[in-house]
Amino acid sequence: MSFLHINNVHKRFGETHVLKGIDIAIEQGDFLVLVGPSGCGKSTLLNMIAGLDSISEGELLLDGRRINDVHPSRRDIAMVFQSYALYPSMTVAGNIGFGLEMRKVPRKQRREAIDRVAKLLQIENLLDRKPGQLSGGQRQRVAMGRALVRDPQLFLFDEPLSNLDAKLRVDMRTEIKQLHQRLGTTIVYVTHDQIEAMTLASRIAVMRGGELQQLGTPQAVYDDPNNLFVAGFMGSPSMNLVKARIVEQDGLPVAQVATDASTLTLPVVRDRNALRDWCDRDVILGLRPEAITDPASANHREGNIHEAELPVALVEPTGADLYVVTTLGGTHVNARMRPGTPLRPGERTRFAFDVSRMVVFDPESERRIRDERVTETTPIGETA
Amino acid sequence: MSNASSERDDSARERLQRWLPKLVLSPSCVLVLFFVYGFIAWTSYISFSDSGMMPDYTWVGLHQWSRLWTSWTWGIALHNIWVFGLLYIVSCIVLGLILAILLDQRIRAEGVLRTIYLYPMALSFIVTGTAWQWFLNPGLGLEKTMHDLGWQSFSFNWLIDSNMAIYTVVIAAVWQATGFVMAMFLAGLRGIDGEMIKAAQIDGAPAWKIYARIIIPQLRPVFLSAVVVLAHLAIKSFDLIVAMTGGGPGNATAVPATFMYSYAFSRNEMGIAAASAVFMLAVIAALIIPYLYSELREPRS
Repeated sequence: MSFLHINNVHKRFGETHVLKGIDIAIEQGDFLVLVGPSGCGKSTLLNMIAGLDSISEGELLLDGRRINDVHPSRRDIAMVFQSYALYPSMTVAGNIGFGLEMRKVPRKQRREAIDRVAKLLQIENLLDRKPGQLSGGQRQRVAMGRALVRDPQLFLFDEPLSNLDAKLRVDMRTEIKQLHQRLGTTIVYVTHDQIEAMTLASRIAVMRGGELQQLGTPQAVYDDPNNLFVAGFMGSPSMNLVKARIVEQDGLPVAQVATDASTLTLPVVRDRNALRDWCDRDVILGLRPEAITDPASANHREGNIHEAELPVALVEPTGADLYVVTTLGGTHVNARMRPGTPLRPGERTRFAFDVSRMVVFDPESERRIRDERVTETTPIGETA
Repeated sequence: MSNASSERDDSARERLQRWLPKLVLSPSCVLVLFFVYGFIAWTSYISFSDSGMMPDYTWVGLHQWSRLWTSWTWGIALHNIWVFGLLYIVSCIVLGLILAILLDQRIRAEGVLRTIYLYPMALSFIVTGTAWQWFLNPGLGLEKTMHDLGWQSFSFNWLIDSNMAIYTVVIAAVWQATGFVMAMFLAGLRGIDGEMIKAAQIDGAPAWKIYARIIIPQLRPVFLSAVVVLAHLAIKSFDLIVAMTGGGPGNATAVPATFMYSYAFSRNEMGIAAASAVFMLAVIAALIIPYLYSELREPRS
């Protein structure tokens, strides 16, 4: 039995079907990130876990207990809101202690709990201030303190970093991750930022249009996407999606991609069995920018490298990397190369494709074409 | 050559554009200066003069002011305005807040109800006063209706009871202004972050505690605005009382405004009337000026 079990949960607002049967199960200590574009239903799902929105259909189990109709205050959860939702008329200490006060915890015990959390979050010197006198980052800490002080079974975070500036966001991200590692709490975290999802999560649930697209570890979601949406949504710069055609060569399926002058033939390594059925049909290839590189930086030991000479359309140095744009199958393709590679637009250079990382999609259903496997996303040994 | 003339045209137009706002605004500015501030100054001067039925510009110093403060009717008027003002402000705020909280529960007919509560404010005080005078008149309104319906022992004659008459004025005034105060509070309630209420729910606060501890403390600016608006309405209240009780029975509902009117126009004591008018202005200014100052200064900080 998993710790938090979201079992075929639906949400309807009148005629609109906002959540269309979500199934997610996580273990104690997991950091689940719900990620997706705005309007995908991730916040609604979080509000339903919190008890702030009713569940139209399905079941919600926390630690084996059905909590569909339990009042938010009795679910043993705490929530950090996007706007922080601090009570402006109370001091920081009052804000943090309010939940305990409502639960009739004696003053002395309350004070100890507040001090403990304030120390943990390094906001001891702010306890007597009002929220209006705090900076964004400090408010964020107080909001987390208010959640931590009650020591609940489950923490809910609703886009907690979206109101911070870019630098502070990265710092707070690290801190949330450290806090999770130190306290071993179970967290459900909503964000639209796929980098936040990748860095924080132990489980990512990618959502779109009220449907769960994929649930898995960050690496599984990144390397082994279920469909075109997940492939395009996760990762920055995003995965290159290229039109291609599967043909049979020497009894094996290969992918043919149109280049400027001729055709590039890439051998297929993954999902070979499934792709046999796709011979002489159009598909979409997915290749991460880091799977296309210069021959010197290619991973010859683990990967399966296939080289080709292609024209350089554009060069984008970022300092750490050099992104080289070329054209494949009629679209621009990003390749990640070693910085300092002397390249200029219009030149031709050798690109190394790591075909072991190539994934193939059905252009119509947008689903991944993959071999049948037992369970794809949970690596063995990770289930507690 | 045509170029030069068009340039001259341009500069003339520019000059006109620069001066136009000033030209348009200056007549009203002059009128306001003369009729508002000019007459304030004139009234202030009259309060230090020997004026009786007609203005008389002989300077008598604080003579009229000392007569005002030793006047027995002025004492009654001041007492009445305290009773009226306090009850009026407190009742309007309490009732307005309760109505606003009830209307804020996402009820279906909110739009209709809000309009119904707000409508009395659209009436003039004269209409309100007259209507309530009819309604509370023992020979015409509520009492007579009850008698006609067979409840012979029913009695509600506050309007003609000199100890109770002031409360009838309070009832009518509260009836008129409560909807307005409710609208102010409703706007304040709508401005409160919904996530904060969700957070309080998760923290386990019952609804009344969410209001008492989190929402109402945040409505402090609305309370301040309501008090200032109601207080100056109370001090200015004149037409309502004239229409309802005429200041009577006796002096039972006399307030500074009716006092000022009767001394100026029926008792031929323009000097005392001017002193009372200046005193009322000073009280209202003491309320409004700090309020305006704090309101207008706020955007900068």
